[in-house]
Formats: sequence, C-alpha cells, structure tokens
Amino acid sequence: MLETLFNNTTKERVLLYLYTYQEGYGQEIARILELPLRSAQLQLKKLEEGGVLICRKRDRTLLYQLNPRYPFYKELSAMLEKALTIMPDDERRKYFSPRLRPRRTGKPL
Amino acid sequence: MKKLNWKKMSVEEIGGAISSHLKKRGMDCVLSGGSCVTIYSDNFYKSADLDFVMTEYPREKVDEALNELGFTRTKTWRHYENPKCPYLVEFPPKPLAAGEENIKKIATRTTKFGKLKLLRPVDCVKDRLAAFYHWGDRQSLEQAVLVALNNRISYAELKKWSTAEGSLDKYEIFLQWVKEKKR
Repeated sequence: MLETLFNNTTKERVLLYLYTYQEGYGQEIARILELPLRSAQLQLKKLEEGGVLICRKRDRTLLYQLNPRYPFYKELSAMLEKALTIMPDDERRKYFSPRLRPRRTGKPL
Repeated sequence: MKKLNWKKMSVEEIGGAISSHLKKRGMDCVLSGGSCVTIYSDNFYKSADLDFVMTEYPREKVDEALNELGFTRTKTWRHYENPKCPYLVEFPPKPLAAGEENIKKIATRTTKFGKLKLLRPVDCVKDRLAAFYHWGDRQSLEQAVLVALNNRISYAELKKWSTAEGSLDKYEIFLQWVKEKKR
C-alpha cells in the first residue's frame, strides 16, 4: 500500500509495527513480521537517522518508537492508520493487532 | 436441577444460565467485557471467559452457587472453571464502568436458560474503546468497530463520552474505521 511512497515494503511494515505496537526492537520486529533481521535493523537505522524514529537503550537492547517530534508525525500516523483500515483483515490481525491491554495476573491463558 | 450441556451452549446461554442461577440465590450480576462483544457480534469475536460484575457477596456464597453448576474456583485467582464448560467465569472488581464513567443503564436478554443482564451495545463499545484510548490496544478497537457495525448505537453518546475521556482524537480514528468497514 505505502511501499511505493516508501520505496520499500520492509520500511512500510516496520513503521506499521511501531505505530501499532508503540515500540519495539529489531529482533522482535523481525520475528513478528517474519523479516530477515538484517533488513529490519537496516530500516530501523535509516529511519532513526532520518529523524522518523527515536531510539533508546534498555539494558543492552535498542528500543525504537516513532518520533513524536518528527515534523510529519501527525501526517505519517494518519497514513499508517489509513493503511491499516484498508489492509486485508487476516494480515492486519496477524501482524498489526497486538494485545496491549493488561491481563490480570494469575489468569489462565 | 436440569443438567446443562455447557459445550453446546452459546456464550449468551451460558451467561443466562449462570446469572439466573445466581439470581435465584439472591445475587445480582451483570455480564461485561469480551463476552458482550461475542454476543453483540453474533459470535464473530470469541472470548475465552465470562466476566460478571456483581455487588459484593460473601465468597463462600458465590462458591457454593457456582459449585452447584459444576464450577470450582481456581487456586490462583478469582476465576471459576468447569471441565465441561469451554469458558472461564470471572468476577472482576466493581464498579461497572467504562473508563471514568459508571454504567447505570443495563440491557437484558432472555435465553432458554434464564435472563441475562449485560452491558448495552453502546457501553460495550465504550468498554472496548477505553482499552484503545488508554492502552492503545488495537484488538479492542477492532472489537468496538465490530459491535458498532452490528448494533444500533448512539454516536452522540460515544462522542460525549470520548470527550470526557480526553480522547476525541482517538474517537475520530474509531469513526474512520466504522466508515471504512461499512463500505
């Protein structure tokens, strides 16, 4: 959907991941999106260098998120939201519908 | 007591059987959470448990009533399970609320196993949207859209509630989804 604009499907998927999951690190993003780790890491690095993402270190892990101070943050978010609404339901539910609401401790899964 | 075949019953029927049984023993409860989404989406969304919000009753009294239906409390938490029933039963703490708003109006559905009190569709949408607004939970957004598309709800009421929750921007996202999925 947005790959023409971004010139890269991996970049689009990484952005959609960070938009829906709110944050993530390379290995986790690559695993969930079923991408080669190096491709995911490369796109994360490029997006961070371009100011689209911000990155912080937690223990030894680089944690990425969309940069709320990126000048096109609002517009980018609107585009990603739109992309999600028109994405096939199966694909969206598989890759971009994380459970972020808390689960009570002790609850059998 | 008539033997119930839990595996063949719908969530709504199970809810009706449990709440009418509790009612007979003087306990009043309202079904909330994901199982309301199941009911209002005609089983499109599958919840794994039934969450009943009830006025405080002695735990022994609740245990006894549910034991009569074959449910026993799990050791770890406030869940009840019955090996013959595919759903867990839980009693989350009061109040019955969606975000900051206490829910006062309740819907009722009648099943062949008894009456069931549950959230109204609009409150079910609010309940799901609260998780989207405050935790960014997109599964809840999808469930809210599902209920909104399958039921008559007041968008004016939802907008007012969303404003009070300080989440008008996310309400706009919800509306965008409803419009897109209506096509």
